Amino acid sequence: MSSVTYILDNGGYMAKVGLSSDTPKLVPNCIMKAKSERRRPFVGKQIDECRDASGLFYILPFQKGYLINWDIQKTVWDYILSKECCPANLSQMPTIVTEPLFNFPSIQEAMTEIFFEEYECQSLLRINATGLSCYNYRHKNPNTKCCLIVDSGYSYTHVVPYVNGVKIKEAIRRIDVGGKLLTNHLKEIISYRQLHVMDETYVVNQAKEDSCFVSQDFYKDMEEAKLNLENNTIARDYVLPDYTTLRRGFLRKPEVSGEQQTLRLNNERFAIPEILFHPSDVGIQQMGIPEAIVNSVKACNEETWPHLYMNIVLTGGNAKFPGYKDRILKEVRSLCSSEFIVNITLPDDPITYAWEGGKAISKDPVFSNMVVTREEYEEEGQALCYERFDV
Amino acid sequence: MAARESGRIKDANQKRVLDDAARKRRQRKALEALEEDNFHDDPHADLVMSKKVPKFQETLDSRGVGRKKKTKSAEYYKQRFRKTFSQLVEEDHNYNPTPPNYMSAQSQPSQFPDRHFCTVCGFPSNYTCIPCGARYCCIKCLGTHLDTRCLKWTA
Ligand SMILES: [Zn+2]
Ligand SMILES: [Zn+2]
Repeated sequence: MSSVTYILDNGGYMAKVGLSSDTPKLVPNCIMKAKSERRRPFVGKQIDECRDASGLFYILPFQKGYLINWDIQKTVWDYILSKECCPANLSQMPTIVTEPLFNFPSIQEAMTEIFFEEYECQSLLRINATGLSCYNYRHKNPNTKCCLIVDSGYSYTHVVPYVNGVKIKEAIRRIDVGGKLLTNHLKEIISYRQLHVMDETYVVNQAKEDSCFVSQDFYKDMEEAKLNLENNTIARDYVLPDYTTLRRGFLRKPEVSGEQQTLRLNNERFAIPEILFHPSDVGIQQMGIPEAIVNSVKACNEETWPHLYMNIVLTGGNAKFPGYKDRILKEVRSLCSSEFIVNITLPDDPITYAWEGGKAISKDPVFSNMVVTREEYEEEGQALCYERFDV
Repeated sequence: MAARESGRIKDANQKRVLDDAARKRRQRKALEALEEDNFHDDPHADLVMSKKVPKFQETLDSRGVGRKKKTKSAEYYKQRFRKTFSQLVEEDHNYNPTPPNYMSAQSQPSQFPDRHFCTVCGFPSNYTCIPCGARYCCIKCLGTHLDTRCLKWTA
């Protein structure tokens, strides 16, 4: 088998892609269109060439976290595999591609078909991104038997316990809150309270990334945010990009607005990420992350509990909110019995952690037993894929 | 007599209160908006694309070394695998009804009580608007709410 593997962590918003000999590229998994250049669709990273990103909208292959729009996905994959992005001849090397948890059978079959028949893969491993994260964690911590991956991405958040590298399906918990919902909510409250930004998902998403944090003491921060501007350490202005002098917005202390257009962000800065901890704040009647972690652990065998609490790993874009890890630690600590040691790992890059796991797994001797080769696929078809891939 | 009639009608209007079903509809609509994937059908699909558009056919052909393969178009895959999200969920429910599955993995309701925030300013709220059930924190915010949202959208 070739010493290089093509690894595609195919996220619903961002694809992480690259050869196992290389570092991953982050490629928006969508086609974007801008008001300023109506005739040109921007595929993947081409959006970097767009001069004016106002009124930008996405056409995404994924809906609610599952691959639905295959024409869009095919276009993005063709771009990803082209010289322009991350070229490779998949017939010459193994491919790892990620899929969501509980992926629907027809999507699984379509994945297998498109990779073997369209892209003529030499061999294929379809696996959950959380499975790759688990592998990465155990690779770095060789003596751990269990870990609990909390993957909070664009479409939703999953809590997934792994015991000896195998996910405990009965204990998986999905919270229907992800980065998309947070951005949509921010868009809505800004539009109601100060400026119409309903068509500015791209910019508001950046404002969210640049401004929001996870509160360590929610009601105390609410009191703080009520103070007048001189004494208020939370209120900030977000300077909006104008695409002539400024390409990306930034946060600054409130001042009398000059030429630039700004958004005043106050309790929004922490009330938005708070939805991950209290989905019921926006009417979603589900547990927040810390409660779902404890609930998931309790659904596993009791002897694994101390190991799971010891090895919690936070992945996905939402793990980048400042304060995210500390808040989860504090709440899990207070919700679980005091006999357990709670230890949480926040990787340097929670977005590429799964991809890095793919890189590690591709170098493991067991890897060749995990893939399905093209010859095997041609002989045994989809049935073998169901048997070998656990997605 | 006439004056009394119109007085009664006015009174009835003022006391208009959204019933439970209407409030639930409103809540569901709000949630659907939050779940939006920002997925649009392309409004400019009929515009002629400029020359800058990458020609996938060409890049595909150069993918393999000395390989000539007929590739299928994006449109082919759109037709080949066309199922909506709700069709997929239903299909899964029919073929794989025993948990664990997509439906069963959904996190259960929290054991902690709901928290309430002013729909206008976002700060914690203690009061509920009688006609529509929205939360508010002070007279000023109630005023804004009545002027902008209260019964203004049809649920
Ligand atoms: Zn208020
Ligand atoms: Zn009202």
